[in-house]
Amino acid sequence: MLELSKLTRQADTMGAAVARRRLDQHDLLQRAQADLGQHARVDDLLRQRIARACAEDASWRGADPLGDSLDERHLPEGPPQPATLIAADGSQIYPDRHAVAPYYLLNVGSILLRQDAAGAPVVRSQPALFYEESDLYDETGRLRDSEYVNGQRHRLEFETLAQHAEEERAALGGDVSRPIVALVDGPLLLWTAQRATDREISMEVRRFARQLARFRGARVVPMGYVDRPASANVLRTLELADISLEDVTRDKVRAGLYRRLTDRLLFSGLEAGQRSGLFASTSQMNGLLRDTGHRIIFFYLNASQRAGADHAAIVRVEVPEWIASEPALLDLAHQAVYADCRLTEYPYMLARAHELAVVSTADRAEFEMLVGQAMLRHGVPPVISTKAEMKRLTATRPRRHP
Amino acid sequence: MGDVGIMVGRVLRATTANFSVGCRGLFTIADRLIPEFGGLVKALGRDGAVIYGLTYNVTIDDDAFVRQLVAAGLEDATYIEDQRQNRQVPVVADILTVGGQDAGQELSYRLPAQPPGPLDEIYACNAAEIVRFTLRNDWLRTVLAAKDTPSDQLITASLSAAAAARPLGQREAYLVAAGRELARQMALDLGRLDGILGQLYDDIEEKTRER
Repeated sequence: MLELSKLTRQADTMGAAVARRRLDQHDLLQRAQADLGQHARVDDLLRQRIARACAEDASWRGADPLGDSLDERHLPEGPPQPATLIAADGSQIYPDRHAVAPYYLLNVGSILLRQDAAGAPVVRSQPALFYEESDLYDETGRLRDSEYVNGQRHRLEFETLAQHAEEERAALGGDVSRPIVALVDGPLLLWTAQRATDREISMEVRRFARQLARFRGARVVPMGYVDRPASANVLRTLELADISLEDVTRDKVRAGLYRRLTDRLLFSGLEAGQRSGLFASTSQMNGLLRDTGHRIIFFYLNASQRAGADHAAIVRVEVPEWIASEPALLDLAHQAVYADCRLTEYPYMLARAHELAVVSTADRAEFEMLVGQAMLRHGVPPVISTKAEMKRLTATRPRRHP
Repeated sequence: MGDVGIMVGRVLRATTANFSVGCRGLFTIADRLIPEFGGLVKALGRDGAVIYGLTYNVTIDDDAFVRQLVAAGLEDATYIEDQRQNRQVPVVADILTVGGQDAGQELSYRLPAQPPGPLDEIYACNAAEIVRFTLRNDWLRTVLAAKDTPSDQLITASLSAAAAARPLGQREAYLVAAGRELARQMALDLGRLDGILGQLYDDIEEKTRER
């Protein structure tokens, strides 16, 4: 039980600290934005510094600019064209050794919306249950953990999205004039478990590249949408702009001047609906993807409908690099997603995909009751652990009033 | 089981005296509004028992997501249809139990021994079933005595529907008989009786003009 009365003073102190930090950030941000204006030009020297920073520190995550300036801004021209939007999101029940039986569950929700069509969008929700020993235990006999399940969920979300994308293009008779955008919540750049081996990473990269090739074959724009991004790749590159090549050392790049800022703040001056230039993260994973022809690039977009930096809603959008070779298609995708953010400054599609995917605590309880009944029919009493039972009982205890 | 009629929804919760039905939305099926205030519905129990009830309230709930969309100026037809057709926010119809019939037994206007079960199917009664149920006026007493329901308007709507279910030539006679029964049951509350009969008269006048 959380005794709020014991936290009142700390909450107040915390509020003051946040305000102080915000003030300090403001001065630093002004300096960074001035730097961006002053050192915006992308030349060979900057590229050499970026290459050196990568070589000096493998963990350095800068931004490799695709354009001629770090400070590019772009507003699509021409009226938006109706597009088809597809979004998928996933939810899960993690394996739990205290539950009635070992299992895990994935649920992928998806929505397909044709922007100019009458009628409701197509919505789907597809659960998948995993209970075989080969699903549940790794080679050392340990129960699979949340990191593994998250990886499986990401894969299923992306496969679902690719499948719907291909089906939609096929339903159009292969007509590629209509833009189709496939949205996922979060980065598009592949994520792998920290302890993954080189072989596992290589397999995952190949698998991911196969899915991206499906999108490319269907001429569909896969897009990762990161709301309130914490990334600072462009700032890392900006920190290199004012130092000599010899000064690009491991210590120097690790002690970056703008460590306390994010790219979101740096680009808070983007106008409503405007996007930044295109960049590629210098991560090793992106290097592996580049070798498959599917390097991931990103830009920042102001998803707000209101003018002014105070109302800016800067998000990070990630797409495969092959989209950059079709600027008109990139513009159409940009416009389609921005239009989808009109109501709440967040894609309606992603909000709905999440709603379709989410497995609530009540859903889980009902599902476990269903499993319990099935076990009983087969002569196995469903018993949760004593610890789980105690947690269940104490969680529902009435609140004590002091 | 043969043709049981138009499905209204499934039971969400129930007491002996009333029950609530989760519906997929507001529909017009074969010129009938589903669910409809004053409409006679039936719950089909698994043991062959039937429970009859009158729809006395229809609720459309909102949620935080819808509220935010509306406040932001929701106008796009595709989003509106998504909210209407795909969101899992049920329309809830509240039903006042007015009678029942156990398997192989006569129709009864008493409250049933058990309420309908969770997720039991609820169907709109067809004209023949409405006529059969309203052959006697015993159900009026249950409606008049019901608490927390708009009883007077419910009686008006239900009598009007019962009259409409009959051949044209029988409607007036039916309503006159029902009016007499109401007068008998409400002899000590003439003000309320006058209100109900007035509403009923207005309703019949309106329907006559429509024709």
